[in-house]
Amino acid sequence: MDWIVQASTFAADVDFAINVIYVLVGFWFFLTFGIFLWLVIAHRAKPGQKAEYLTGDEREPKKFISRAHMLVLVCDVAIVVAAVQVWVQVKQTLPTAPETQTVRIVSQQWAWSFVHPGADGQLDTADDIKTVDELHIELDRPYIYELTSRDVLHDFSVPAFRLKQDSIPGRVITGWFQATVAGIHEIQCAEMCGIGHGLMPGKVVVETPEEHAAWMQSKSGGAMLASASR
Amino acid sequence: MRIAAKLLTSCVLSGSILMGLALAAPASADVGQAANGRGEALFNLCTQCHGSAGEGKHNIEAPAIAGLPTWYVTTQLNNFRSGARATHFDDIQGMRMRPMAMSLTGEGDVEAVAAYVGSLPVTYPVATLEGGDAAKGQSAYMLCGSCHGMDGNGSEPQGGPPLAGQSDWYILSQLEKYKAGIRGRDPRDAFGMMMQPMSLTLADEQAMKDVIAHIMTLKPAN
Repeated sequence: MDWIVQASTFAADVDFAINVIYVLVGFWFFLTFGIFLWLVIAHRAKPGQKAEYLTGDEREPKKFISRAHMLVLVCDVAIVVAAVQVWVQVKQTLPTAPETQTVRIVSQQWAWSFVHPGADGQLDTADDIKTVDELHIELDRPYIYELTSRDVLHDFSVPAFRLKQDSIPGRVITGWFQATVAGIHEIQCAEMCGIGHGLMPGKVVVETPEEHAAWMQSKSGGAMLASASR
Repeated sequence: MRIAAKLLTSCVLSGSILMGLALAAPASADVGQAANGRGEALFNLCTQCHGSAGEGKHNIEAPAIAGLPTWYVTTQLNNFRSGARATHFDDIQGMRMRPMAMSLTGEGDVEAVAAYVGSLPVTYPVATLEGGDAAKGQSAYMLCGSCHGMDGNGSEPQGGPPLAGQSDWYILSQLEKYKAGIRGRDPRDAFGMMMQPMSLTLADEQAMKDVIAHIMTLKPAN
């Protein structure tokens, strides 16, 4: 997964869990199909030799399956342990650092809108900065997001952050991220949401504290951001 | 000999030009047909929300567009594409339209689909609003008429689109957006910026309903 930049604090952990799955599942996949192919070739039909019918009642012939099954279950446990660790860290633990800020992410057919706290650091106050298509955040600062939908199911996906979260109308879903790479990262909708599903890209703009302060200054008092293009 | 050669050359050249002209005529017609077909093909996407005849769908807040002049459709599509329209946080319906306009990426796509929309017959949407007083609205419409035409059929030089034949609920929703500053605040949307202060002359919802009631009495030109 290294070909997609790891731009959040948990991106490497998500990649680790995925790689564990790749390696363990891949090992059994190729081993199983290799043995299967060998059996097909080695025990192909031969003149005068009749196929043996196994009922499965005797343990001895089944040991190649049952023992391998046990090993697969061990691998399953390893996958579950790796995945749950990441799940708890990414989905069930919110940052508590005092510098943590909250942003609101609003999905709709077919656009992303954002509410950033203004200078007071609080949402739902007069200095909130509302934007369309662009989420502006500070590098290395933890953010809690409140994800909502105005209409149907969407999914807020930032591949560089390894973040993917459904948004559901009527619910406010809370999560977090902390960007570690400055620059512009793509937002995609990862849940089929209608005819414009493929036409609603957005971007996360990760800025240094100075750049972010300058951006906030330029938007202070504004209720909108007109993106020139995307 | 030299004269004969010149005559032959001029005959060949004339023949070539005539043949070229003869070939060019059907070629132009083909280009025209292809452009029309292209607009119709592109319009398939529009039908998902605006209906197969461009009649609009109130339940998904997609307005009637059939018969809107090409210049207006072109301007609005370009506004959507550039972000001059529908980039306000509260323009929910506009943001549904914006990616659709942005999907017109081919050269001439906007013009082709705008021409096709303009060629569709007006669909005469049914009235959905109640409580408007057309008589009161008629006097308020005097100001609107300076750009939209006293007959409601629009004016390209003034940048006012036709209002006759438009859905009443759509006119109300756009007036509300103009009044709230959701539409017509981007400097790139020159005509929108002209409309924004005009909307403020309609003091409240009743005033808007009155003028819309008058607009609904106007007859579309095509």
